[in-house]
Amino acid sequence: MTSAGTPPTIPARMTRRLAPQAGELIDRDRQIVFSWDGDRYPAYQGDTIISALAACGQRVFSRSFKYHRPRGLLTANFNDPGCLVQVDGEPNVRAAHRRVEPGMHVRSQNVWPSLQHDLGAVNQAISRLLPAGFYYKTFMAPRALWPVYQRVFRRFAPGGRVPRGAAEGYYDKRYAHPDVLVAGGGPAGMAAAAAAATAGARVLLVEEEYELGGHLRWGDAAQLARLAELRTAVAAAPSIEVLANAAVIGRYDDNWVAVAQRDLPHARERLIKARASVLVVAPGLIERPYVFAGNDKPGVMLSTAVRRLINLYAVRPGERAVVLTANAEGDRAIADLERAGVQLAAVVDARQGEDVVAARGGGLLREVELAGGRVVEADLLVTAVGWTAPTALLNMAGVRPAYDPRAGRFFPRDLPDDLLAAGGIAGDGTLDQIVDHARAVGREAARRARARGGRSAPPNPLPALPIDTALSLFRSSTHGIVDYSEDVSSKDVVGAVREGFDSIELAKRFTTATMGPAQGKLELVNTVAVHAEATGRDIAGTGTTTWRPPYAPVSLGALAGRSFQPVAYSSLQPWHARQGAKPLVAGQWIRPDHYGDPAAEVRNVRENVGIIDVTPLGKFELQGPDVARLLNYLYVNKWMKLAVGSVRYGVMCGRDGVVLDDGVTGRLADDRYIMTTTSSGPETVWRWIENVLQTEHPQWRIHVTPRTSALASINVAGPKARTLLQRLVEGIDLDPEAFPYMRVRSGAVAGIPGCFMWRIGFTGELSYEIHAPAAYGLQLWETLLATGADLGVAPFGIEAQRIMRLEKGHFIVGQDTDGLTQAYAAGVGALVKLDKEDFVGKPELVWAAQRGDQQILVGLQPADGSIVPDEGCQLVEGERAIVGRITSSRLSPTLGRSICLGFVEPRLAAAGTMVEVRLVDGRRLPVRVMEHHAHYDPEGLRLRV
Amino acid sequence: MARLLARSPITPPPPLVVAEGWEVSGRRSGAALRLSDCTPLAKLLVRGDEQGRFRARFGIGVGAARLLSPDLLVIGWGPGEWTLLGPPGAEERLASVAALDRDDGGGEFLSATEVTHGHALMRLAGTAAAALLAKICAIDLGDDVTPNGAAFRSSVAKLVTEVVRHDRDGEPAYWLQCDRAFGQYLFDAVLDAGAEFGIEVDGFRPPWI
Repeated sequence: MTSAGTPPTIPARMTRRLAPQAGELIDRDRQIVFSWDGDRYPAYQGDTIISALAACGQRVFSRSFKYHRPRGLLTANFNDPGCLVQVDGEPNVRAAHRRVEPGMHVRSQNVWPSLQHDLGAVNQAISRLLPAGFYYKTFMAPRALWPVYQRVFRRFAPGGRVPRGAAEGYYDKRYAHPDVLVAGGGPAGMAAAAAAATAGARVLLVEEEYELGGHLRWGDAAQLARLAELRTAVAAAPSIEVLANAAVIGRYDDNWVAVAQRDLPHARERLIKARASVLVVAPGLIERPYVFAGNDKPGVMLSTAVRRLINLYAVRPGERAVVLTANAEGDRAIADLERAGVQLAAVVDARQGEDVVAARGGGLLREVELAGGRVVEADLLVTAVGWTAPTALLNMAGVRPAYDPRAGRFFPRDLPDDLLAAGGIAGDGTLDQIVDHARAVGREAARRARARGGRSAPPNPLPALPIDTALSLFRSSTHGIVDYSEDVSSKDVVGAVREGFDSIELAKRFTTATMGPAQGKLELVNTVAVHAEATGRDIAGTGTTTWRPPYAPVSLGALAGRSFQPVAYSSLQPWHARQGAKPLVAGQWIRPDHYGDPAAEVRNVRENVGIIDVTPLGKFELQGPDVARLLNYLYVNKWMKLAVGSVRYGVMCGRDGVVLDDGVTGRLADDRYIMTTTSSGPETVWRWIENVLQTEHPQWRIHVTPRTSALASINVAGPKARTLLQRLVEGIDLDPEAFPYMRVRSGAVAGIPGCFMWRIGFTGELSYEIHAPAAYGLQLWETLLATGADLGVAPFGIEAQRIMRLEKGHFIVGQDTDGLTQAYAAGVGALVKLDKEDFVGKPELVWAAQRGDQQILVGLQPADGSIVPDEGCQLVEGERAIVGRITSSRLSPTLGRSICLGFVEPRLAAAGTMVEVRLVDGRRLPVRVMEHHAHYDPEGLRLRV
Repeated sequence: MARLLARSPITPPPPLVVAEGWEVSGRRSGAALRLSDCTPLAKLLVRGDEQGRFRARFGIGVGAARLLSPDLLVIGWGPGEWTLLGPPGAEERLASVAALDRDDGGGEFLSATEVTHGHALMRLAGTAAAALLAKICAIDLGDDVTPNGAAFRSSVAKLVTEVVRHDRDGEPAYWLQCDRAFGQYLFDAVLDAGAEFGIEVDGFRPPWI
C-alpha cells in the first residue's frame, strides 16, 4: 500500500536497504513519501527520518554549530548531534529518532544557501581566529556597537526557525503517583518493572525509544528471544503503565519526577508530573565517541549506531569500513557489517595496542590513518572504545557517582532510600546477571514503596554486579572534537586549561563543552579526560560537571502545559453576549461593560428605569447568634442594633486601618444576615472572616456560607423602578412608608420564590437590588425587560454604573483607595466609631484621627468642564510639589461636564479651594474642590423617594 | 406569570428538554466516558461540630461519602461540613433528613443552608475517568488512596473543586462540584481533557444519584 502518492523510485532509490532483518522495525508493506530539502524520498513505515535518508545513500544531514562542518550519523538515535532538522514548522527535530510520516517536509537548518554549499563553512578557514571563548574577549568595544553585534550574532545562532503564523500546538499535562517509577525500558528496566509489579507495586515504566528493549533490540536470536520474554512479562502486568517515546527529564525533591512524553495522537508533547515513592534508574549505557583528528566527518560512527542501522532499519551504513574495537560490542558490529555485505578494509583492535589517528576526506570520509602511518581507504569508520554511564538522575538526587578506572566510567554510590539503580549504570555481567539484579531491585523498590506507605517488610538483598575491566580510551595521539553539538575540540579544552581554567566547571563554561543539545551525554567523559590530561590530574580527581534538569530536551509548550484560567459567568452572561454587550474582564468575571452607548444608558436610568447585572457582588450568608458581634468587630461602624429588615453600609479595614472592603449587610432574620462585599473582594473578605472565627474568636457561633453566585443579583434603578416592580412582586409592600430606603424585604418576584431585595442606591436613583436563586436569574431578567417595556426599561452596564456612582460621589475600594488609604482619608470618618470597645484597625485609626495629616478624598470639578483629566494625573503646586492625584474621572452625561474624585492634602481640602492638575500632555488644568463627594443630588433626595 | 424554568450555568447541548423544572440536555450517550451536568440535583450544606451530632447521624467524617438511601448521598467535604445530594426538587426532604433539634442544650451550633443554586455539579463516569482527572487534578486517584466513597476538595483545572468518587454498578464515576459561576469553565475543561478518551456529553436523567 502506498500513502501520499507513488514514491518516485521505490525501492530502487533505497540503494542501501538490506534484506529483511530479524529485529527490524520497518514495515515493508507500508511505503511512504516525504521530502528532504525539497526532493522527494521514499521510506517505509517505521523508518526514522535519518534511516530513510541513509537507506537512499544520504550521508550529510546538518552543518556543525560553529565551523559549519558537514555532519552525518554518529549514534543513530535521539542523542545524535548531527541529525537536527526542521520538520514543517517544527525546528530542532531529532531526526535520528523521529519517525518519518507521509508528506513530511524535512529541511536542513542553520545552512545558507544549502546544506551542500554552506557559506558558513568559511569559518573553518578562520578557525584559528575563533578559539573557544573568543567572544568573551572580542566585541567588547565600542559599547555603542553592541546592538549591531547582537544582530549579527543572532544571524549565526544555530537551530531552526519557528515560522511566523505557525499553528499553536496542543501540549498536555498529567499527574501520576506510581509506587515505583522505572527510568529506562531496556532489559534491566523491564525486569525491574515486572518484578516490582509482581510484588504489588503500581509501576510507571518510561522508555525513550518507541519500543521497549534497549540494546536487545539489535541483538542476536537469543537476545531477541529474551527480549520477547521480558516484553511479555511487562505486558502481562496490568499494574505497569508503559510510557514509550518518553524521557525522564528531571528528578526533584521527594522523588517528584518530570517525564516528557512525545508525539501523542492528540498532543505534540505531554509533561507528566509523577510523584514516585521509589525511582529506579535504569538508563543503560551510552557509547562514548573517540577523540581523534577528523572524528566528526560523515562516515565516522559508533558501533551501536551501525548495529541500529543494520538491525533495526535494514540499512547498510557504508561500503568499505575500518573498525576500531576495544570491546565485545565492536566485535559484534564487525559481525553485523560482514552480514550486511560491508567490506572490512581494516579491523583496528585497541586491545592489541592498535589505534586510529585520523579520518580524512574533503567533505565525507575517504581514508583513515592508523597508528604507525598506514592509510586505509574507507567510507565508514566504526569506533567501539567504551561507555558513559548517564548518571544525571542520580546527580539530581544529590548522589555523587564515583569514577572507577578499571571500567573507565562512573558508578552510583550512597543512594538515598527512595532511589535505586539497575542495569549497566549499576555494573556489568552477563544478561542473566543483569536481569536477576534488576528483578531484585524491582522487588526492593516495591518493598520500599510499601514501607513509605507504612507497611514495613524486611529488605530484599541486592546481588552485587561484577565490574568488567575496560580500556580507558578517550583520545588518540591527535586532537579532535569532544563536543559535537558545540564544535568544541580537545584543543579548546587544553587551551582553556592553559588560560587557567583548571576547574572542570570553569572550563565547561569557558569552552561551552557539554552545554549543547546533547547535554553531556556523549561528550562529558571525554571532556573530563582531556581536561584531566591537560592538568595532570586523574579523572576521579577532576570530577565532573553538574547534571541538571532537563536531562532531555523539552519544549516550552510542554512546560507550560494546558492553559487553565478559570472564568466566572453570571447566570445572565449568555443574555449579555447575545445582545452584543462589550465584555469587561473584571478579575475572574466576564461582565457587560456596556451595550453600545453608556451615556444613553445613564440618561435612561436618570429618566426612566434601568437594570444591571450585579451578580459578581460578593455575598455571604451569616448564620448564628453571634453574627452581630462579628460585624461589629469587622466594620468600623456599629452593628449591635441592626434590626431585622434593615440594611447598613459598612467599611472594613485591615489592622493597619487601611480600607479593605466595603458593602451593605442586611438582617433577614434574628440569626440570619446577608453580607455583600465589593465584586473583587469576596475571597479576601472570606479569608478575613475565617481568620477571625478560627483564630481570634473560635467561641463565636457563626457559620459563613459564600453566596455570590448562588444569587442572581439585579439592580433596578431609576424613577420608575417602583412602578416596574409593583407589577412583579408578591408579598412585598413597596410603598415608601412600608419599604423605605436602607431596608430589606423577602418575597417572590416574577413568580420566583425565595427572593429578597433591598433599597440602596449606588447610582443615586431610587433603586432596588433584587437577589434571586441563580437558576432563575435569566427568567427574572427577561421578565423585568418585558414587563417594563412601556416604562422604557433598558439594561445598563458597568461603565454607566461607574459614571453614575461618580456623579453620586461613591468611592470604589481599590480605585479611589490604595494600600495606604485609611478610613479617614477615604472620607468616611463619620462612620468610624472609636467609642466601640474594639474593632479591626481601631488602634491605627485612633492614631490617624489624632494626626489628621493624611491626604483626603474629595470631589473635584475642572474649571474647564470639557476636559476630563486622566485617572492617575497628579495635583501639583508650583513647579514640582505633588499635592494629590485624580482617582476617578468621567464626563458626566447628567451634568454635561467633567467630574472627578481625588486626593488632596488636608490644607487644600476645603470646599472652593482651587488646585491644578498636571495633564498627560503637560498642561495645567485648574480644578475646584467641591463641598461633597457627590456631584449630583448630594442631599440624596432622589434615592429616598 | 410564565412557568418557572430553572437553568444550569452550563449550556446544555441539544436537544433541550425540561426535567423537574430544569432546562437540561436530553442527549443520550453510550460512550465509554461520559460527562453529565447534574446541577439540578438538590443540595443542602449542613454544618456542626466535627465530631458532633451530624457526624453521628451520617456516620462519616471528612473525606468520605455514603448513601443514606438509594437516592440520597451524604458527603463529608470538610471538617464539620457535609453536603446532602438528592433528586431535583428534594430540598425539603434533605432538610428533614438533616433536621436536628437546634437547641439540644449541649451547645453545639448547627446550621443547614440550601445550596442547590450555588454550585455546579457534574458527573464523570467511565473506566477512563481517573485517567482524565489525572490530567487536571494532582490528587492520587488510585484505588488505595481514593477508593469508591472517597471525597476531597482540591484544585481541578486550577479551580477549587469538590470531588467524590461514587462508582455505579462497578463503573468508576466521580461527582465534581464547583462554584456555580465557574460551572461552564469546569465543564469545558473536563471535556477538553477527555477528548483523547472519546468523552461525550450525556444528558441529565435518572438515576439521579
